[in-house]
Amino acid sequence: METMMFKQIKSHFATDDVEVKRNDLYKVGVRHERLFELIHMLRDEYDYKTLNAITCTDWIEEGHFALTYMLTTEDRKHTFMIQTMINREDAHIKSFSHEFKQAEIMERDLHEMYGIDFQGNKNLKELSLENWVHTPPLRREFDTLEFVNNNLTFREGRDDNIDTKVESKRLRALKKAEKEAAKKAKEAAAAETVKDEEVKDGK
Amino acid sequence: MENKHITIFHGPQHPGITGNMSVELDLIGETIQKATTHVGYLHRGFEKLIERRTVIQAFTIVCRICVPEPDPNEANFAMAVEELAGLEVTPRAQYIRVMVLELSRLAAQFLWMAGQSGSIGLYAVGQWAIADRDLILDLFEELTGARVYHMYIYPGGVRRDLPEGFLERVSTLLTYMKKRLKVYDDIFINNASFKSRAIGVGVISKEEAVANGYVGQVLRGCGIEADVRKDAPYLVYNELEFEVPTQTAGDVYARALVRRDEMDQSIHILEQVVAKMPEGEVMIKMPTHRKFKLPKDDTWVKVESARGEFAYYMAGDGSEKIRRMQVRGPSLVHAFTLLEDLLVGAELSDVALIMNSLGICPPEIER
Repeated sequence: METMMFKQIKSHFATDDVEVKRNDLYKVGVRHERLFELIHMLRDEYDYKTLNAITCTDWIEEGHFALTYMLTTEDRKHTFMIQTMINREDAHIKSFSHEFKQAEIMERDLHEMYGIDFQGNKNLKELSLENWVHTPPLRREFDTLEFVNNNLTFREGRDDNIDTKVESKRLRALKKAEKEAAKKAKEAAAAETVKDEEVKDGK
Repeated sequence: MENKHITIFHGPQHPGITGNMSVELDLIGETIQKATTHVGYLHRGFEKLIERRTVIQAFTIVCRICVPEPDPNEANFAMAVEELAGLEVTPRAQYIRVMVLELSRLAAQFLWMAGQSGSIGLYAVGQWAIADRDLILDLFEELTGARVYHMYIYPGGVRRDLPEGFLERVSTLLTYMKKRLKVYDDIFINNASFKSRAIGVGVISKEEAVANGYVGQVLRGCGIEADVRKDAPYLVYNELEFEVPTQTAGDVYARALVRRDEMDQSIHILEQVVAKMPEGEVMIKMPTHRKFKLPKDDTWVKVESARGEFAYYMAGDGSEKIRRMQVRGPSLVHAFTLLEDLLVGAELSDVALIMNSLGICPPEIER
């Protein structure tokens, strides 16, 4: 069954990119124009009826997003990872929400985090980021630290607030001074003892 | 009649909500016309944080993805890293992992029992269930040093071996639990007030459940024997005997019965684990964590959590950092696709009841 399926995928979709990752997990890479066709074939002919997840990976160096669709057979024993690349600058792809009801929320999640336009999904409104106008946060170019420094202010704290860096420096200096003073006192005491002994010996 | 529509928010400040989320309800009288789920109250950006950390630094985050049940996250993370890095875990470590996962499942089901009973006002059940869950947390504390976030199922094995006499203490607890669960049957599962509230409420059809990618008790409550431990066995589940409990009604009560039977199965699995626990090392030799690199490859791993299939997608890029880790828990689809559908036509007083039966955990939506 699997051999036939792989053969059909290879011949129909002109790809050698079919991989057996585990005995229950397969992966295939396909051009995004033919993604629908492949998913339909797997669903109708090989029982991959359930869409489990859609994931996205940002390959910023290569200029694309890797979208992976996880399809599971009706008996849930096999999963097929179908991966397709889309241009990350003008990220768009057709939506699956009219075929798989659960795709609507999965695409909405990815739309918010990566800014991908899933064409045909009627519910791409904001999910957890309220009034977000910046770069979608899971894109690699979004720098969390820079965002925090530019957009958020640190609370000043209480009036008697102490800068921990300055305070720890002061405490370190104090400790060092105490240590040196103790050392000097010890040396002085030792010198005193030597002097006393010399006097005692009558030198 | 004018103004017959009322819109109210159920949550996030509501005892009947399963965490930090809310459902906007459009009502006519007490009947729900439309339900809209809202999240965004606790997004912590974990998936982003993980991309900027080394593998082992990222490990400390994953258990926090789901609060009531952190261990499936640790197991998924460890299994994904091991698969990408080509590591093999020792048999003893695998058995210990199964033990931790099953104890965690039992603890999560007690927590569910507290929530489900609380949603219809049976507060005594909730108090008892939380107290009994604490006995499991005591064992976790002894084994891992922590009650909730264990950070124990580490890539390469488990963080430390079992303390002396630990398996005997697990056996003692299991004997207690077996007796104790009969009490819960009397005061909760067979309780007439629970039955009258739960039977025929929140019914899901089998076809819809399969097509829409629902998991866990939602599928099993419709009569489908879905369980990752049987369908695609991981760790040593293929060496252990257990059944997958199912019901056919597809309602809140069917899901409760499935959960109750699963508690028996967890105890049965734990008894076998205690009897079969092999000797040996619990951790393989791992590279220094700063030099630990994942190859440019990706994988999809899944475990059966107390609420259903819990999966991770993980991609490496040849560096010390994980390129991408995406969490696929049961909650995203259950809280939006399923809950928004299921609440239409339901009564306002049943919202908490239905929501609890679906196993929705908002921290896992906003990871």
